[in-house]
Amino acid sequence: MSDDIKTYFNGLLEKVSGLHVIQITDRDGVPLLRVGQEKNVDFALMPSFIPTFTTACDQASKLGLGRNKTIISMYSNYQVVQMNKLPLILTFVGAENCNTGHILALEQQVDGYLEDIKQAVTESQTHA
Amino acid sequence: METQLEKVLSDIVTQPDTVGALLANRQGLCLGVKGDINPNVSGIGMAISDQVAGLEPRNAVAQPEARHPTICLYSGNRRCVIQRNGEITGVIYKQHTSAPTSD
Repeated sequence: MSDDIKTYFNGLLEKVSGLHVIQITDRDGVPLLRVGQEKNVDFALMPSFIPTFTTACDQASKLGLGRNKTIISMYSNYQVVQMNKLPLILTFVGAENCNTGHILALEQQVDGYLEDIKQAVTESQTHA
Repeated sequence: METQLEKVLSDIVTQPDTVGALLANRQGLCLGVKGDINPNVSGIGMAISDQVAGLEPRNAVAQPEARHPTICLYSGNRRCVIQRNGEITGVIYKQHTSAPTSD
């Protein structure tokens, strides 16, 4: 099962030019799956990175525009697209000129592949 | 601010057989949409344009401004036309009203 998911996300990485890393974590930043070989984007796995997104997402949801789904952060050398798929957080790290619209279009496609991981995380949280 | 953009889109969708149109910026983000077309198509349309530009890499050297060709995708009774001009990519959906001739 996890091999299928990894193969699928590796395929996505090849389809979107300029995309370096895709990573799935829980809302505390615990890594569940990571695809991509780029070594310079380890900042996306820093302990503070994902929880900061979770906090920003919670705050953005209070703006009266509905639940916040995605945050796009543009930096000088990278862009980071983070998707709120609670209990999971999906993080895409790409080059600054990477096709952001293409990454956003993946949102609906990946849902089917995340169901099993979501279920596993939910179960582990209820047993904890 | 986007009045001009909306006017261009309105002009496009009033053309015969056209059912929808959108414009995307250089990041593949949708700038405007009119008619029956999903805004999520903006990123995919730009990705297709980039891929197809790779079919004729010599064009990129000879005519850098005309690097991206106009693409027409046929599926069922619909056509999807993708054209890139500088930083702006346009995606137009057209519906066949009559069968295409085969000459």
